[in-house]
Amino acid sequence: MPLKVGIPRALLYYYYYPMWRVFFQELGAEVVLSQPSNKGLLATGLKHAVDEVCLPVKLAYGHVLDLAGKSDLIFLPRLVSIGRREYICPKFLGFPDMIRRIKGVPKLIDPNINLYKSRMELYRVVHEVGKLFSCSCYKIGMAYMRSVKVHNQYLKLLRLGLMPAEAMAIVEDRVENLPVPEAVDSFKVALIGHPYNIYDTYVNMNVIKRLKEMGASIMTAEFLPEQVVNNSAARCLPKKLFWTLGQRMAGAAFNYMERSDVAGIVHIAAFGCGPDSMTGELIERSARLNGVPFLNITLDEHTGEAGLLTRLEAFMDMLRWRKAGPAWV
Amino acid sequence: MKGFLGIDVGSVSTNIVLMDEGGMVVDDIYLRTQGQPITTVQAGLKELADRLPAGTIIRGVGTTGSGRHLAGLIVGADAVKNEITAHAVAASSLVPGVQTILEIGGQDSKIIILRNGVVNDFAMNTVCAAGTGSFLDQQAARLNIPIEKFGENALLARTPVRIAGRCAVFAESDMIHKQQMGCSLPDILAGLCEALVRNYLNNLGKGKEILAPVVFQGGVAANVGMTRAFENALGLSIQVPPYFNVMGAVGAAILAREAVSRKGSSLFKGFGVADTSFRAGSFECSGCANLCEVVEISENNTILARWGDRCGKWNSTAGREEKIS
Repeated sequence: MPLKVGIPRALLYYYYYPMWRVFFQELGAEVVLSQPSNKGLLATGLKHAVDEVCLPVKLAYGHVLDLAGKSDLIFLPRLVSIGRREYICPKFLGFPDMIRRIKGVPKLIDPNINLYKSRMELYRVVHEVGKLFSCSCYKIGMAYMRSVKVHNQYLKLLRLGLMPAEAMAIVEDRVENLPVPEAVDSFKVALIGHPYNIYDTYVNMNVIKRLKEMGASIMTAEFLPEQVVNNSAARCLPKKLFWTLGQRMAGAAFNYMERSDVAGIVHIAAFGCGPDSMTGELIERSARLNGVPFLNITLDEHTGEAGLLTRLEAFMDMLRWRKAGPAWV
Repeated sequence: MKGFLGIDVGSVSTNIVLMDEGGMVVDDIYLRTQGQPITTVQAGLKELADRLPAGTIIRGVGTTGSGRHLAGLIVGADAVKNEITAHAVAASSLVPGVQTILEIGGQDSKIIILRNGVVNDFAMNTVCAAGTGSFLDQQAARLNIPIEKFGENALLARTPVRIAGRCAVFAESDMIHKQQMGCSLPDILAGLCEALVRNYLNNLGKGKEILAPVVFQGGVAANVGMTRAFENALGLSIQVPPYFNVMGAVGAAILAREAVSRKGSSLFKGFGVADTSFRAGSFECSGCANLCEVVEISENNTILARWGDRCGKWNSTAGREEKIS
């Protein structure tokens, strides 16, 4: 019987799941995912989470607990840093420890991933995790190589403008029909936020679908190559941000602001997120200086959709009004 | 006479206006929603129908406010618009050249920045309703002064006291503290107005360029104490337009006029809807772990619409063209 490795559909799942999946499968394990986010998972998360973490981490608790009983091990890397001289949010860093104190959670695979000084550290991590499943260094190395290949393919699809769910379907070879091309006459709106906020349709009340229905075509940070994002961030910020994700969000926002084909920016922040309150403010100030329409939306545990709808509708009206001039009404 | 109806169903009040074809407000009704939007809209329409001269033709209806979808369904609206756009449309039509709109309603507050007749930026309060009409209402009730007299009383203040306005709960305990120290009532009321204005400008006005002409609308604009506090804080003169408390409805009527002129006919069901029996019920869908609360609106036992589900399963069964939420 293969070992079942559980991966929570939360946090950096949206960046790394295709890679993690291939790595574990190549080593002979079976990969189990938690359910897509829903009310039940959030309720479980809220019940178990410590009270000062942000909403997405609370939701991640729910995802991890959903895997209890479904998997033998849970892959929950301790992400300290995924880029040179950058950090991941400290709440991610402590997440495996927050989970460990809960009774009934399967054994965690929680390697330290700290690439602050050097990427070489990653090989140690790959070996550390790999040897739980195989004693062949060759097999582990091959699994890693294959997973990197899929990861690159996945990133490429995201840059083509696919949403993570669509891109994952392609790399997993389970596409039923091709994505429908978007309407041409719609407004381009940049949606800026942490991947686990903008791509989780439950927690954001389906903001992407709603904006599309209101006539927006969506651009996210993932559409841009890392180099372009970093260049924009370097040009517009007095110094580099500490957080990889914040740096990516700010860089993408600055890049979109400078483009004349992008009509406006919607920033999605999570309640209780420290970095968001800072990057959001940096982006908002810059948007205001550049005269680019900006909307900030804070996600919280509220299930009322009226407030979100009102803001999105008013924002889209504003974009149309600005384009058409005073006679729009 | 021919005209357009605008209906604004808010958390606290429901407003209906009748606007003639030239864009002049002919009649307006301000009612308390009292948690029953359907019956309030019906009561308002009935009252209006009784007041109007015979032979009045309604050429179109627009709805706005947090209950806009519900109201739109009941009356058969031609335009269903969010309250931010509706307020901006109304103010720019009644006060040409307006550059800043301050709006404080029952449960929410907004700031809208216009430049050259176009909305340039806006903000709306988040989960916190400190400083909105409901809080003022509650404090007036606690101090046993009618809300209508609140503003006049505040104007009598000589030295407004400093009250913490960050949070309504703290503001209240701060007010009690000041009252037990012996500060006069007008000073406390004026202090409260100043605190709420500070809160508003910090939360919503943050980083925005507030330029004259500034209009102040929404139910709270009836409170002269608040207008004075805004003038002091901004150093600008503030206009409170006529129909300030029904501006959302005015905007909805204007938007209805445009919608009807585009498509040529109206969906208005007539004043008869005041006597139709509408029923709203809800049930919990057990199709998945989301357990959505689905609301069902029926008219004389035929289902008009369902909403509240995330997946669209119930939404589509009602067979409507326009998606509601």
